This record gives sequence, C-alpha cells and structure tokens, in this order.
Amino acid sequence: MPMREGIYGLIAEFDTPTELVQAAKAAYASGYRRMDCYTPYPLEEAAEAIGFDEPTEKGVARICLLGGLIGGCAMFSLESWVSIWAYPLNIAGRPLFSWPAFIVPAYEWTILFAGLSAAYGMLALNRLPAPYHPVFNAPNFRDGATTDKFFLCLEAADPKFSVSESRAFLESFRPVSVVEVDH
Amino acid sequence: MSNEHGHHAKHLPADLSAPASVARWRNRALLVALVFALLAAADFYLHPSDLSLDYVLRGWLMGLIVCFSFAVGGMALLMVQHVSGGKWGLLIRRPLEAMSRTLPLVFLMFLPVAICVKRLYLWARISNPEEALHAGIINAIQAHAIAYKRPFLNIEGFWIRGIAYFAIWGTFIFILNRWSRQRDTDTQHGNWYWQKRFENLSGAGLLIYSITLTGASIDWVMSLDPTWYSSVYGLLFLVAQGYAALAMVILITLALSQDEPLKSIFRTTEQHDLGKLCFAFVMLNIYIAFSQYLIIWSGNLPEEIRWYMDRITGGWGYVIGLDFAFHWLLPFTLLLSRDIKRNKRRLAAVCCIMLFARFLDTFWLIAPNFADIHHNFHFSAELLQYIFVPAAMTGLWVAYMTHQLRQRPVVAINDPHLSEILEPEHAHA
Repeated sequence: MPMREGIYGLIAEFDTPTELVQAAKAAYASGYRRMDCYTPYPLEEAAEAIGFDEPTEKGVARICLLGGLIGGCAMFSLESWVSIWAYPLNIAGRPLFSWPAFIVPAYEWTILFAGLSAAYGMLALNRLPAPYHPVFNAPNFRDGATTDKFFLCLEAADPKFSVSESRAFLESFRPVSVVEVDH
Repeated sequence: MSNEHGHHAKHLPADLSAPASVARWRNRALLVALVFALLAAADFYLHPSDLSLDYVLRGWLMGLIVCFSFAVGGMALLMVQHVSGGKWGLLIRRPLEAMSRTLPLVFLMFLPVAICVKRLYLWARISNPEEALHAGIINAIQAHAIAYKRPFLNIEGFWIRGIAYFAIWGTFIFILNRWSRQRDTDTQHGNWYWQKRFENLSGAGLLIYSITLTGASIDWVMSLDPTWYSSVYGLLFLVAQGYAALAMVILITLALSQDEPLKSIFRTTEQHDLGKLCFAFVMLNIYIAFSQYLIIWSGNLPEEIRWYMDRITGGWGYVIGLDFAFHWLLPFTLLLSRDIKRNKRRLAAVCCIMLFARFLDTFWLIAPNFADIHHNFHFSAELLQYIFVPAAMTGLWVAYMTHQLRQRPVVAINDPHLSEILEPEHAHA
C-alpha cells in the first residue's frame, strides 16, 4: 500500500459531553463536514451535532425500509406462486389466491429483512468491521476513548481543513489537547 | 457536569396551573356540542320515520363508547404509567387524571342506553324467543342464541353489571386522583412511599380493568348481535381504548405545551417516546384485529363468518377500507418517520387521524348489527345521527374534561422523574 501524504486529521480531547457537542455544533456550523465524534457511550446529541439528521445521512433508515419492503413482497410473491401456479390445491373450497393466509409469513419476512438490513446496513455504512483506523495512532485516544474522554476529529480530507486554522479553531473551545493524527 | 457554558438545568415554572387557553378550548368544545346537538334535533324532527328514535339511540351508543374509551382508557393508561414508571409518563399524568375524572359524565351518558335497552338490543326486545320465531320476527339461530344466553343477557343483569362496572372504575379513579393530590403537597413521606402505593393499586387495578372492560364490551357492543361471539373481543376493545386514550392525551399535552408551564418543560425526548408508544398501539391494534379476522376467515363457520359478511358485503367494504386506511395504513406509515414523531404539529395531525379512525371503527362495529342496514350500506337522513350525536357528546365530554383539567396544577410534582425532565436534552451523562 502506497504511503499517504500528510495527516489523517486533528483530534481534540474534551472532558465532558457538553463541551464536545458544543465544539461539534460550531464545527458543523462553520462548514466542516468530514469529521466524527468519539465517545465512550452512545451520545445522540453528538450525532445530531455533526448532521446526522440531514437528509443525506439517512442511509440506514432507507436501507431498513427497502429491506422490509423487499422481504414482504418476496414472501407474498412466493406464497402466491406456490398456491396459484406451482401447487394449486383446493383447500376447503377457498380461492387459490387466499391472501389473508399469506399475510402472516409476509409480515414475518418484512420484520426479518428490515431488522437484518438495518443491522448489516449500519455496519456497511460505518465501514465496519475495520481492522485499522488512523485515530488509534493518537496515544491519548487509545487511553481515553473507551473510558471517560470525548473526542472530536476534524479530518484532513475536508476541503475546509488546514492544519493551522483548524487547530486554532479547535483550541478556541479550550479542549484538554489537540493532537495531529497520522495515517 | 460542567455548567460553564450556560447549560443549567431548567427551573420549574412558579405557576403550574392550567394556562388560560384551556378555558377557550372549553368554550369552543361547548359550541361544537351545541351545533351538533341542534343538527341532531333538526335531523330528528325534519325527517320523521319509524327509525328516527332508533338512529338517535344508536348514535348515542356510539358516542357513549367513544367517550367511555377516553375516560376509562385514560384511567388504564394512568395505571400503566404508574406501574411502568419512566419519564414519558410524568407530563401526561395530569391530563390522564382529568380524562379519568370525566367518569360521572360517562355514567350519565350510559343511563339512556340502559333505559332504552329494549329499543337497542334484540335480546332485550324479545321476551319470548319461541313466539318471536313463530311470528317470523327472528330466525332460528337468533331464537336459540337468545334463549340459551338468557341467564347472562337479561335486562336486570345488564343494569346490575353496568352499575357494578362504573362503581369499580369510579373507586379506582377516586383513589388514584385523591392520592395524586395528596402526593403533591406531601413532605412527610419520600417519593418511594408514593411510588409503591401507586404501583400496588395500579397493578391490581389493571387486572380488574381488563376483566370489567371485557364484560362491558360484551354487554354494550358485542351483544347487539346475540348470535355472535369472539374470545378476543375484550382484548381488541382494550387495545382500541388504549389507542384512543393515548391519541387524546397526546393532543391535550401538545396543546398544553403551547403555553407555560408546559412550554418550557415538555421536551422533544418525551414527545418522541409518546410517538413511539402510539406506533406500538397502532401495530398491536392491527395485530389483534387481523388475528380475529384470520381465525374466523380460516374457520369459515356459518355462526361466526356472518358477522364479518354483515360488515364487508353490500357497501360496507368501503367503510372497512377507510377504517383500515385510517386505523393502520396512515398512522403506521407516518409514524415510521422519526421527524414526524418529533414535530408537534405533525404528531398532532397523526393523533387526529387516529381519533377519526376510532370514530369510524366504532361506527363499523355498531351500525351493521341492525337488520335495516346490514348487508346494505346506504345513505339516509337518519344515518347522519351517527355523526351528529357522537360529535355533540364528544364536544360535551371535551368541555367537561377541560373543566377537570383546570382544577389542578398541570404538572405533578414530588416525583423522582421531575428532576430528570428538567435536565437539558443532551445531558444524559
């Protein structure tokens, strides 16, 4: 793998979730988009602060809906095909296309496919599993990210990113530290 | 938790009494009740026919069932939130209590049904099934069912059970409301003392509620057709009642949150939770309704299937189609969206759809029981009584509920969840 130029980004360390969310909101407001928050436990507000609610970020919801629709239609079609064409049996004089009986399995498949596509879609969109991620190159990240520290990483891939200006921007929120992250 | 950036916990507003707008709702509701009562009277006098009074009574029964589901469903949800606990229940507690305290009005609405029981219920009108069968008034199945079910379906039993149900619900509502007021001012006992008291009462109350509600649903609605029975009917009614009461309490709470004191303490987090609960009720309702249909459709037995045939064929298909769309399809698809659950106006619109669905469904349950219209849904001037009378009764109910809402502070204090809902929304740490 060729060596990549420059750094992956700048990571700021905060002591409290409130400070992190404030910094993340300000970064989003001033135009940064390629960034991420890292917290020891799920923090919904951090996701909202970096634009999770924007329409472009609703990938998991769409994949889940699509999965559910595909699952429901697939099972309903399978049952219809079996009952009408493949094995047309007269059951108690009912029509071959007896849709009420098809609803329950179709419903179960809707749930199954929606659930699986939400879970796997989430993993895929997060590019997980990831055996390597550059943020672990920051020593303070390794120590604090899973215990009691809150991190905001502005990535160098963002067009607005510049090492000096972004560092000054992050430092204006009085973080514990701002560290350059190597690739 | 650092507060240096001004993220302080909010303070409870000093004045917790109901905002002045509640009095305006009362006036509006009374106006609606008056207009529809006049329309009902006009319809009754301008189109006299043999069935004029019958249709007024049928509309009255529908209005009773709807108002009853708000009052007693409100009591049931109140008990559920006492048993389950959780932040979501705190701000809807006072509206639920106000809804439950409308029971005396619902009892007054019940009296005309009990007095005119012979006009509404076939089993009450036929005193001698044998004779009626020979005279050709009823068929053999009806004659058999009425004679066989006589030990349960008789006028004395109808009255005694009806009064017993109201006495039981009234006792629970009285105690729940009394304790709630005592709790507000109590300084002697801790939160846990009250929490345990409410939990113990509500746990037993929910069990008794589900039994009495099953009885009431059989007496008042299912027995309109004495030949038919379904063992899931009580549960279906119970879920529908939760569905109606939840939609109503969310509408009340959203309307209250336009003004202080709720304006500053009703958070999107709790609103989102209530939206999710609506979604659960929408799913549970269709689940049970469809189970009943699927079982009866699969069995295809002549004594059961006729109930559905009365309600699907002869024009009733349009009614059940609309019922399905408003009861499940629309609220389900809308409530899938996170944004709709978190937006006040949109969630209120969904709740209105759900309430409309309850009216439509109650109509669909009641109206096709009568021989002049089953298998044959057609418009007549009398049919409008199914709109006028329930609308007038609901208007009156809303007016009385707002009167009850003004009697107490709209936020219950002395509760451990109070400090939680006063926190800023992103301070889950």
